[in-house]
Amino acid sequence: MSQIQPELEDILRTLFDEYEGPITGALTAAEVEQWDSLANVQLVVLAERTFGVRFSTAEIAGLANLGALADLIRAKQG
Amino acid sequence: MSQALDDREIAPGAGPALKRLIAAQLAAFPEHEGFLRRRFAAGADDFCESLATTIETIAGEDLARLCEDYRWLAGAVLEEELFFRREGRYRLSSFAEAEALVYADPAYMTRYMNGLLLSQLWWSNHTAVLAWFRDRYLPGNGTQARHLEIGPGHGLFLLLAEQDGRTESCVGWDISPASLALVEKTFAALRRPAPSLLLSNLFEAQLGRFDSIAFSEVLEHLEAPAEALARVHDLLAPGGRAFINAPVNSPAPDHITLFETPEAIVDLVLAAGLEIEDVLLAPAAGASLDRARKLKLAISTVVIARRPL
Repeated sequence: MSQIQPELEDILRTLFDEYEGPITGALTAAEVEQWDSLANVQLVVLAERTFGVRFSTAEIAGLANLGALADLIRAKQG
Repeated sequence: MSQALDDREIAPGAGPALKRLIAAQLAAFPEHEGFLRRRFAAGADDFCESLATTIETIAGEDLARLCEDYRWLAGAVLEEELFFRREGRYRLSSFAEAEALVYADPAYMTRYMNGLLLSQLWWSNHTAVLAWFRDRYLPGNGTQARHLEIGPGHGLFLLLAEQDGRTESCVGWDISPASLALVEKTFAALRRPAPSLLLSNLFEAQLGRFDSIAFSEVLEHLEAPAEALARVHDLLAPGGRAFINAPVNSPAPDHITLFETPEAIVDLVLAAGLEIEDVLLAPAAGASLDRARKLKLAISTVVIARRPL
């Protein structure tokens, strides 16, 4: 997620301002207190806007970690 | 819920009723553990236990079904949140659409109200609003208060008003027969005298003079909230008080009017000719007010207003 990571990291730091740990592709919602289901929607929509992509409901539900989101963005960008 | 899960860790200080409700909710919705853990991270107070006892009594043998209904509601809200974040507006824009989808469908309405009943405990902003109604609003009423609630929903606010010693009479108006049936069920379960209930909308109901009006989570369901507040003004006796609660940036299946800031709601109340006595801003999910404003998160906005003498 090298090229996508910096912008995803900006989004995460904005949304989850209490989280001070490292942001890697392995990061999951369980590790970030503020990352609940509503915040996940906000994260996904901010990512859609930032990278000019659109996710289906099934794709959103199937995201396992931040790396999976980056992979999906990369796949959609072609 | 895992057998090994210690629910005392989810809600430090929880009493027995709250522990039972948490266990029932997690049995129906195990993925909600993290949310509830964060919800009660600061501990559960006496009001939470009192509320849990009331909800448990209302639910009776239907508790598991109510917990399923809450899970359904959480999913429905999530779908609306996705639409709202993408489009910057609520999905529905007319009362007729909301009526067809929700209010005129007793099964949908019952499931919705059941879910909202549990949200009073699981969503910290809903708990804060209900506690403020009991501890800040009702004590400001005079004795022998004639109290009206417009849109009583599950009946918890009306129940608290009836239980308050200053209330002389309790009236509830709602456009949904399913909602009125739930209010009756709530009062019967708690063995309280039934309130006077009327199937009617705000504009058709006969004018009366009330000393106290609860108008909670109704404005966002209306196409003309300003006219509704003018009606609340007219329904109040001079000097009478109103508890007006509406959420900011809070998508739901039947919300049609979007308030983007708490100030938009306060301004509407003032424009209706009411005076402001106090305001409570309760952000959702334990967010700070600054964070809620910055990220356009839901904020329950409550105005205690008074009709001038």
